[in-house]
Amino acid sequence: MESVSDRIELLLPFKPEYVSIARLVTSGVCSRIGFDIETIEDIKVAISEVCSKIVNLGSAVADSYKMIFEVSGSGLGVIFSCEDKSIKCIFDGENDGLALHIINALMDSVELCTDNNYILSMSKVLEENS
Amino acid sequence: MSEGLRFSEEKLQDKIKVILSGEVDIYTSQELKEKLYKIVETYREDLLIDCKDLNYIDSTGLGIFVGALKKAKQYEKKIVISNLKENIKKLFLITGLDKIFVIE
Repeated sequence: MESVSDRIELLLPFKPEYVSIARLVTSGVCSRIGFDIETIEDIKVAISEVCSKIVNLGSAVADSYKMIFEVSGSGLGVIFSCEDKSIKCIFDGENDGLALHIINALMDSVELCTDNNYILSMSKVLEENS
Repeated sequence: MSEGLRFSEEKLQDKIKVILSGEVDIYTSQELKEKLYKIVETYREDLLIDCKDLNYIDSTGLGIFVGALKKAKQYEKKIVISNLKENIKKLFLITGLDKIFVIE
């Protein structure tokens, strides 16, 4: 993706009732970028799957997790992070095949278990006809 | 904030019709699980799930559908899912669940 022009940060509590907020914000950001409705729905699903997994895991030391939307002319990058660094490799070792399969199918790139301080990052490229 | 989940059931001649509206996500999935499993086990009849006004479902919700189907098959019953919106039908295709459910 080309260089990020804007960053939007969202801090969400580890509570299931706020996952819908992540979808609402995602919808607004993606609409601003210019994605079509179908692609926006796809991105919302992928982001919601990650939020649900993080909320399910929970944290003993952190109250919230962070989503960072990186907006550029070529599309969207989304980074999930948390002060609780024990939250890592969130889709490992469990029966999460369905969620991870959906995320990989709907996003253009997904990075899991990276060496940086993120939980997960993913991106979607803005197609010319979006 | 969330539009929530609305659930209604209707006894037809040879099946039970369940109408789902709103959203199935981590917040509403437990309610869906309890109600759907109870219907399958109580009536032991074929199930028609009408998703005409279902706007969103995640993998948790899809997993509940699969769980309900497993229970229904124990009683040699089937689950038909109807009126899926395109964004939700896409999830059934991606996950291969279109092959294990009857989609109308």
